[in-house]
Amino acid sequence: MATTACTTLTRPLPEDPGRELSGVPFFPQTIHQCGPAALATVLGASGLATTPEQLAPLVYIPGRRGSLQVEMLAAARSQGRLAYLLEPDFAALTAELEAGNPVLVLQDLGALGIHLWHFAAVVGYDQDRELVILRSGTERRRLEPRKRFLRAWRGGQNWAAVITPPDQPAATASGSGFIRALSATERYLSAEARNTAHAVALARWPAEPLVLLANGNQAYATGHLTEAISRYRELLVVESGNLAGRNNLANALLDAGCTVAALQEARQASALVPAGSPLAAAVADTLAKATAADAAGGSTCRAE
Amino acid sequence: MDFRQLTVAITAACFLGLGLQSTASAGVIGTQAYLAAQARAGHLADINAALARADVQAQLISLGVDPVNAATRAAALPDAELAQVAGQLQTLPAGGDGLLAVIGVVFIVLLILELTGVIDIFKKV
Repeated sequence: MATTACTTLTRPLPEDPGRELSGVPFFPQTIHQCGPAALATVLGASGLATTPEQLAPLVYIPGRRGSLQVEMLAAARSQGRLAYLLEPDFAALTAELEAGNPVLVLQDLGALGIHLWHFAAVVGYDQDRELVILRSGTERRRLEPRKRFLRAWRGGQNWAAVITPPDQPAATASGSGFIRALSATERYLSAEARNTAHAVALARWPAEPLVLLANGNQAYATGHLTEAISRYRELLVVESGNLAGRNNLANALLDAGCTVAALQEARQASALVPAGSPLAAAVADTLAKATAADAAGGSTCRAE
Repeated sequence: MDFRQLTVAITAACFLGLGLQSTASAGVIGTQAYLAAQARAGHLADINAALARADVQAQLISLGVDPVNAATRAAALPDAELAQVAGQLQTLPAGGDGLLAVIGVVFIVLLILELTGVIDIFKKV
């Protein structure tokens, strides 16, 4: 009686706040609409109240009767959230669960060469019983034996994403990964939210080159020249050959009136440009500006 | 040039126009531009991205997405992700079916078994 074994395994388990994120909302999917439902689930867990009906126009493709992975992430970003793709392994997934983040997954529930792609939200893992707990389809609390979950998840190339507010990096995020995620969401964020997110990144990854560059750029864009110059200099201590850091430092120094130092940095930046780099034009502009400013009467300043 | 190609060309021109405006501030390398350069998406790729975005928009419309939403959705895709989607909207995994589809497959399998005479459960239908 295989079915009995299955039901006795899954039925008597009470909800356990120690092993699962009980507070994650649930939206039962309507036909073909697991994308909007799973997305509303993880967005809701990140503190953004929305419904599958509101999200369907952003992710549902009638002609495919489903939703694409990239559009799921793009839709989360358009709601002012960070969409962070996890490393494709179960350890990353459980690490996020332990940090309180439900995980959006793509599964292939099909068989015999027929693909049935399905989005669901993992909300818990019961290690003792090896059960994965999901908000899936029309089931608020679906219990899947680990092996069965892993098989279906492998069919989805172990695709897993975490949706977080911009000031709360995913548990498994790297500094550069966080900046990439932030950079893709930034245009949907308020100036204040952008500042906060960059400050959070700097506090958590103070020596990560991309975090320092992004912080410098954020300070520069908001008119904080001294701060921008500090971040770019810190970046160049960690990575002296960082072309963007060197180039942007030259620009910030120019704006601060430090033409002598600016020209020096601009020359160094020019020497760093690899052949055919798409950044070559910007660096050439910087050098031209610095040369002109120097010719007009170079000045030194306090920031040097 | 058929209607779809025309739509793609016009939308591409719009996206290109937007792109040109945003590169106006000379000198400073923005974080996104830096990331794009790291991903070897150069000036040429920017043009390709505009074309790809227009193509994705046209494909979304042809797959039944409301044209206004299709424009917003195509614009919301980052360049790096566009490359994964353009020309592949028909084949990429589209998560949609859960239990309902499983029931559908079970039904089809039963139907085939019935038609081939292996089982005999739909006799009264």
